[in-house]
Amino acid sequence: MMQFRLEKRREPSKAMLYGTPIVAVLLTMIVGAILFSLIGFDGVGAVREIFITPFTNTYKWQDLGVKAAPLIIIGVGLSIAYRANVWNIGAEGQYVVGGLAATGVALATYQMTGWWILPLMILAGMAGGALYGAIPALLRTRLGVNEILTSLMLTYVSVQAIYYLVRAPWKDPMGMGFPQTRRFAADALLPNILPGTIVHAGVPIAIIVALVAWFVMSRSVFGYQMRVVGAAPHAARYGGFSENRTIWLAFLVSGALAGLAGALEVSGPFQRMVPGFPTNYGFTAIIVAFLGRLDPLGVIFGGLVIAVTFVGGEIAQTSIGLSNSATGVFQAMMLFFLLAGDLLVRYRIRRVTPQAEARA
Amino acid sequence: MSTDLLIAIIVTVVGASTPILIAALGELVVEKSGVLNLGVEGMMLIGAITAFLVTFFTGNHYLAILVAAAAGVASSLIFGFLTLSLSANQTATGLALTIFGTGFSALAGQGYSARPVTLLGPLFPAELASHPIWRVLFGYSALVYFAFALVIGVWWFLKRSRAGLILRAVGENDLSAHSIGYSVIGVRYMAVMFGGAMAGIAGACFPLLLTPQWAERMTGGRGWIAVALVVFASWKPFRLLAGAYLFGLVMTMELYAKASGGPLSAIPAELWAAMPYLATVVVLVLISIRRDASTNAPACLGKPFLPAN
Repeated sequence: MMQFRLEKRREPSKAMLYGTPIVAVLLTMIVGAILFSLIGFDGVGAVREIFITPFTNTYKWQDLGVKAAPLIIIGVGLSIAYRANVWNIGAEGQYVVGGLAATGVALATYQMTGWWILPLMILAGMAGGALYGAIPALLRTRLGVNEILTSLMLTYVSVQAIYYLVRAPWKDPMGMGFPQTRRFAADALLPNILPGTIVHAGVPIAIIVALVAWFVMSRSVFGYQMRVVGAAPHAARYGGFSENRTIWLAFLVSGALAGLAGALEVSGPFQRMVPGFPTNYGFTAIIVAFLGRLDPLGVIFGGLVIAVTFVGGEIAQTSIGLSNSATGVFQAMMLFFLLAGDLLVRYRIRRVTPQAEARA
Repeated sequence: MSTDLLIAIIVTVVGASTPILIAALGELVVEKSGVLNLGVEGMMLIGAITAFLVTFFTGNHYLAILVAAAAGVASSLIFGFLTLSLSANQTATGLALTIFGTGFSALAGQGYSARPVTLLGPLFPAELASHPIWRVLFGYSALVYFAFALVIGVWWFLKRSRAGLILRAVGENDLSAHSIGYSVIGVRYMAVMFGGAMAGIAGACFPLLLTPQWAERMTGGRGWIAVALVVFASWKPFRLLAGAYLFGLVMTMELYAKASGGPLSAIPAELWAAMPYLATVVVLVLISIRRDASTNAPACLGKPFLPAN
């Protein structure tokens, strides 16, 4: 009889580390096609529309960039936090507060003009996101409160804040009763960078954020600290890296980046604050961070893959009538396969015969 | 306050508390075995859509609850396989399960969102609950009594039974339990499956006990509140009962405030809607100020079992 045994690798396998995300995507396509067919959908069609059409249809490339930008920006922040073993899962809330802060600036400067309005909105968004992220950081470092639960609960609170603000104090006076703010003035809108498309300045910003984060994480003391505290907390303490400082940094950076994404989205695609502003980018960016192996450059890959599924999900909705929620199922499957594949990074599978086992 | 209003409030509080209590009791057992499953919200959504669909097509509420429990178990096995057999990161896998449950339930419920079903009726004959006072005791559906029985059952299991002792040993010191011959992985699988079944039943409470229909994300973060409550209750079933009812009260305070017409009714609806989540944060803060809270956590909570082989 043949048996398999897991053997711990001396060092995590680099090939597996970077190979498993690709394998996870491929497995999701194969298993997804089979599963969706089994439960009565057009499985092959769904996989084709969700994973292939966004590439073959060049008209959809601009959508890919626009969807990937916020995912990459938030995903980069989360990858830094998760590296340090700080579980900020409230990025959606920090994204919302960032969007609200930018909206506040846009509405306050509504009668004004000037180049400084948009940068100020972006700064306000980053500050808002960082401040909202500071609450779980404060509670965790001061009182030891679990940051997973607090950051998540605050997300629900932030969504109610939007509902309140657009219903009452920030409501568009000319909006015929719709719960939304007025459309931002011209100087508060994010410029397009490719005429005739929907590609806005947020797309290059996302790439710059990822490159800067990659440089900082791999070349600076800050990056070293985040990685060491996450990988070997005891050694880090011995080496003089404070755990509390790491938690603070992780939340401030990931909160500020989520807030940046919120400011860019509200000034770009949305152009005003609406109740539908929370689009789950903050939650989906968790998958992006993991698909990117918690590495800022990998997050660009992860963001693009997830953007493909979003754009493809919309295509599948119109072309074969598949519900939008199928996208979430595919995204979760990708994460499941990726997490399963993690085993192969740390272990190798050895085939052993019972005799060899007995001798050993 | 009139008696009728008081009774109405009690009945609403009981309804709101029941799913949180059932889900939290399941998660308590899971955590006592040393496993942290953050997928409760996702498993609840899968339970909710399953219960809705079975009720919609068969009209049989009890069958719906059973199938919802089975669906909860099935989804918990994804988590169990990844974290126990493949020792994947529990936090990430739990989050993935919640994302999966949210998407899967929305997909399965596509096209059913405006279709009504009937609520599960009261367990006892109507004559027994005819008087308002008796209604408070005998006017509920079986799910409510199940939740109460579950509190006692879980308490008895953990404190008094041999199997419960083994489960706690596995959660406190997995290596020792392993060395004296208990199957750590086996015990944790059983606990995770129990947690899945309870999350499935808790999800079934939404279409069968609260609002007789399906709506995307209809559990609205209650699964996360259940996870928070386990910490709040410092892993003790009777404290969980108190905590769940406290939350049920917070969630229904809006009704009371509106009915009273006093200064509370000036509070915007959005703040009331945010209240359970704010209350969770406040409660977590209060509990961490008290000293025994974290010391009562199972020692192996969230850590993968890696015997030296």
